[in-house]
Amino acid sequence: MADTKEIMFQRMSDAIVDMDDDLVAELSHQVIDESIDAFEAIDKGLTKGMERAGQLFEEEEYFVPELLMCADAMNVGIDILKPHMKGNASGSEKKKAVIGVIEGDTHDIGKNLVKLMMETGGFEVIDLGRDIPAAEFVERAKAEKADLICISTLMTTTMDAMAEVINILKEQGIREQFKVMVGGGPISSGFAAKIGADGYSKNAAEASRLAFELTGIFP
Amino acid sequence: MIEMSDAFSPKERLLRVLSSQKVERPPVICPGGMMNSAIVDVMEKTGHELPAAHHDDSLMSALAFDVHTLTGFENFGIPFCMTVEAEVLGSEINYGTLECEPKIQKEKFPTAADIVFKEPKEFEKNNRVNAILNTIHTLSAKHPDVPTIGSLTGPISTAASIIDPMMFLKQLRKDKENSHRAVDYVTDCLIHFARLMVDSGVHVISIADPTATGEILGPKMFDEYAVYYLNKLVDAVHKMGVPAIVHICGRMEAVKPSVADLHSNALSVDAFVSLKKIMDEYPGINTMGNLSTILLEFSSPEKIMKTTELLLRNNIHIMAPACGLSTSTPLENINAFTDVVTNQ
Repeated sequence: MADTKEIMFQRMSDAIVDMDDDLVAELSHQVIDESIDAFEAIDKGLTKGMERAGQLFEEEEYFVPELLMCADAMNVGIDILKPHMKGNASGSEKKKAVIGVIEGDTHDIGKNLVKLMMETGGFEVIDLGRDIPAAEFVERAKAEKADLICISTLMTTTMDAMAEVINILKEQGIREQFKVMVGGGPISSGFAAKIGADGYSKNAAEASRLAFELTGIFP
Repeated sequence: MIEMSDAFSPKERLLRVLSSQKVERPPVICPGGMMNSAIVDVMEKTGHELPAAHHDDSLMSALAFDVHTLTGFENFGIPFCMTVEAEVLGSEINYGTLECEPKIQKEKFPTAADIVFKEPKEFEKNNRVNAILNTIHTLSAKHPDVPTIGSLTGPISTAASIIDPMMFLKQLRKDKENSHRAVDYVTDCLIHFARLMVDSGVHVISIADPTATGEILGPKMFDEYAVYYLNKLVDAVHKMGVPAIVHICGRMEAVKPSVADLHSNALSVDAFVSLKKIMDEYPGINTMGNLSTILLEFSSPEKIMKTTELLLRNNIHIMAPACGLSTSTPLENINAFTDVVTNQ
């Protein structure tokens, strides 16, 4: 039995990497039919596959279209399996992040990828959307009691507003309550350091790892 | 040695470089569009301001002239944004503020299959298109020695500005038929827009396609979509008798061999790409760039002059910023850049 289960998880993981949403659906139904634990199937099958996809993305074997299709396949499986989860998994101790694209910019591909990889890694991610004023990052982070604020931009024209988020946190005396990470095309680690952010990552897979490091958990 | 200083007007110099002829020094330009150089410092000096100048041809002409004279960039570069094409094709635009460039508020279509095709002549009916065409007409007639550059948003970026970008990127792989149909349609519209610009007197077409990077698309889809449709557009511009510049964003590592396949007259790249290496590997390519826009915004005139001298020593064909300028870039920093080139 253990063998079949492991083989099943491996096949699910492979199907994610192969972007095969039909096969993921078929295997997910099989998981339910054979009374395999749904949470375990998500964790060791689907999530594992998505992590491998993230790895391939980092190695430049996969690019954005492939990573998005893997995520779609994963979501197909999650939608089927989630109703069968036995209550234990919706993790109350999950770390929480707010993420958004800073005001002035509506490019959100990068932000969406970071969100995807952070969720895959087990974060609860509140998506503020795009073109978000600096003050709103702070207000939402406070309201959500977030651990982490993630700010993205693709435009050089909006980089200053990233610093503004950190300035507001300082003015309100709550800078220490949140870790702040920044990313996006024109951003560098030098820029992140200059504006006083806690971290910078150059792609989505790295962002997910950085989020874990900053919040003190290691997957 | 023959004294060649001022041998050429700025227009002659740029056109000579774009046709691979010898010049006494490289031109220093900023083509507009994604590389808009209407910075806050300039607008505050003259009172010709954005966002109003996006809509009004007399303001647009005045601002383009201000930018040219105050920054030292040896061209007129219009429009000041990369949203006109998407506006004509149906997307909702937020025109931004004095400091902040226009952006796509909402893409019109959820998927590539949903596109409602418009006739290219919709372009002539759009107010902002007419402001751009009138500006091109005025500037190129009044200042025949200064090149007027018409900037276009590239096919992939325009498509991703009218179709939900996440869906569009998936469809590039998943639904090739509708994706090709969408990008081909967008390219035909861009060709029509280029035609209108050329008929109004534009001297050079510059195309920036920031969504079409190696990092986003990967080498296969970069070739299949970006290179193919950029070339379709560039070939059409060439048939109009006008040279074309193509700007590719990103680190370019994944797609470097493909840039040799681009038909453009010059290749403009981001700051982290070594133009020297590109010149070594592909000696036929005219290079443009690539002074860091972060340097331009945050460092000192002295540092900028030093970096510019390095680019000059590497014999980059056209000096330009590496990417879109921040609107808060200090004018004195841009002057440091252009002065070093023009005072050679």
